Amino acid sequence: MEQALFVSKVDNLKYFEDTDEFARLYFGMEFCERLIPSVDELQEVVKFVNEKKIDFTLVTPYVTEDGQERVVRLLRKLNDIKPSSEVVFNDWGVFQVMDEKYPDLIPVLGRLLNKMKRGPRLLNVLDKIPEESVRYYRSPGITVPKVREFLLKNRINRVEFDNLLQGIDLERTGDEIRKSLYLPFAYITTTRLCLTALCDQPDRVKEVGILPCGHECQRYTFYLKNSIMTTNLIRKGNTIFFCNEEIPDNLNMFDRVVIEPEIPI
Amino acid sequence: MKILSPLDSKEEVEELIQAGADEFFCGLLEEKWHEKYPVISINRRPAGKGHFRSFADLKEAVMMAQDHHVPVYFTVNEHSYIDEQYDLVIDYVKKAVDAGVAGIILADYGLLTILSDLNLPVNLLIGTGGTVFNSQTAKFYQKMGASGITLPRHLTIEEIRRIVERGPGIEFSVFIINSRCVNVDGFCTFEHGLSDQSCFPLYRNACMLPYHISLYPQVSAEERDMGDIIREHRFLERQHIWETVHVDDHPCGACALYEFREIRIHGVKIVGRGNTLERKVKDIQFLRTLIDRLERDNLSLIDFRKSARELYQNTYSRPCRMHMCYYPEVMGMPV
Repeated sequence: MEQALFVSKVDNLKYFEDTDEFARLYFGMEFCERLIPSVDELQEVVKFVNEKKIDFTLVTPYVTEDGQERVVRLLRKLNDIKPSSEVVFNDWGVFQVMDEKYPDLIPVLGRLLNKMKRGPRLLNVLDKIPEESVRYYRSPGITVPKVREFLLKNRINRVEFDNLLQGIDLERTGDEIRKSLYLPFAYITTTRLCLTALCDQPDRVKEVGILPCGHECQRYTFYLKNSIMTTNLIRKGNTIFFCNEEIPDNLNMFDRVVIEPEIPI
Repeated sequence: MKILSPLDSKEEVEELIQAGADEFFCGLLEEKWHEKYPVISINRRPAGKGHFRSFADLKEAVMMAQDHHVPVYFTVNEHSYIDEQYDLVIDYVKKAVDAGVAGIILADYGLLTILSDLNLPVNLLIGTGGTVFNSQTAKFYQKMGASGITLPRHLTIEEIRRIVERGPGIEFSVFIINSRCVNVDGFCTFEHGLSDQSCFPLYRNACMLPYHISLYPQVSAEERDMGDIIREHRFLERQHIWETVHVDDHPCGACALYEFREIRIHGVKIVGRGNTLERKVKDIQFLRTLIDRLERDNLSLIDFRKSARELYQNTYSRPCRMHMCYYPEVMGMPV
């Protein structure tokens, strides 16, 4: 079982200190194109992984045209300085660019494109719904042979998973596609109408849109509680997460664990 | 620029076309699906209202619409399906094709792959669940066989313009009115409608539930002064916004019709499967009036905006509100 460490900012390379348990570093951003690292930061991190002699995975978010340009700059640089790195894509447009221009980079299907339901309310109904429904909530789209065939044909042989509260059934997903499990933070939903943006400017309470921000997400985190949710929700930046530290019984079905020492925003 | 309207029954067809609908989209719930998946939708609408009852009814509706050259699109737009659902899903799609629908609206790349291979005589359209935020994603779907795309709600007018300009020559549609989802639909993994209304916390959209919200980091209790308490309270006020308003309280993006016409957007989508016929007619007439003015009166941007806002207030008895505006940059907001 490979262990990887996921950091979304250069400062968090500190989690690598005094440990040799990680064979791979994930670096980047899944949720907000404003937090895509710079080319300089990428170079710094690649230098770090080369020194540590570990493997590297660049993580990319869903992107507008602007964000796409920033991601392409990273892909170009990564292709130059560390070809054969993995790139987690959460936008089929990023995959499209990789497929056309950077075939040496290895595409990995990100967790935003692995669209299993994650809302913690599900746990209230699992024992009240038909077994077919329970299987749906626990099963990924790669149970479909033609989906696996499509992914493999496109050189996508790894899919990323959150640690779902309802469990994950990986039977009938084949061996050709490898699976990574993210621990402990799982994303539930994300938005571009970010409520953390401008949150410390009280006169702008009802301004909700795609607004300029001061990266308030780097300073504030919000915890949301409602008794129908079976766990606390965590709003960090434009995304809502939950934390699930319970190791699933079928951990052996994954060949990689991706450790998030902090919420990756 | 076409008006894409929801349609829930054959009885609605004539009235909605008379109101000005150019295209329809609809869904259908079969008992054999509902038995296995009572809280899981095949088409992003929970059981109950908002569905055709039978394929015979759908066929009649399609034929009535065809008499007016109005195409009907059929939604099979859940974000993901698993292997054991596919027999039902493919059977469902084939029956809709037999009923004469002009296209299938879908969101799942897996379903797109499979339907493309089937070579069905219908268009394959990517719904908002396909999360097309850039022109390369549009190109990806086009290569897979899609002929049209509804863009996500969470894009600015300028971002839409750039996608269309750089896009692969595919038809783009955008949202224009109703249900301004708080989160990106195609990336939202909350499940709505987990029960009927008798259990409100399971029924209500998770994004609009009331939450006790706390801020981290907080100043420790001993160190807090009144200023900290007031500041924290104000920080939190913004975090509660979606429980104090309803995301379907007539959100609107009609001011942007001006730019959408310039950009050559194919169609504007009214959300509202399950809405009353009266509300559907009102929404269509509102947009029809504005589009006709645009095409007939050669209005300036400022005059059109003024006209759109006046008509919105007169139609819905509400002022324009930033948090209910699909494209709030039109309200003078910096973007």
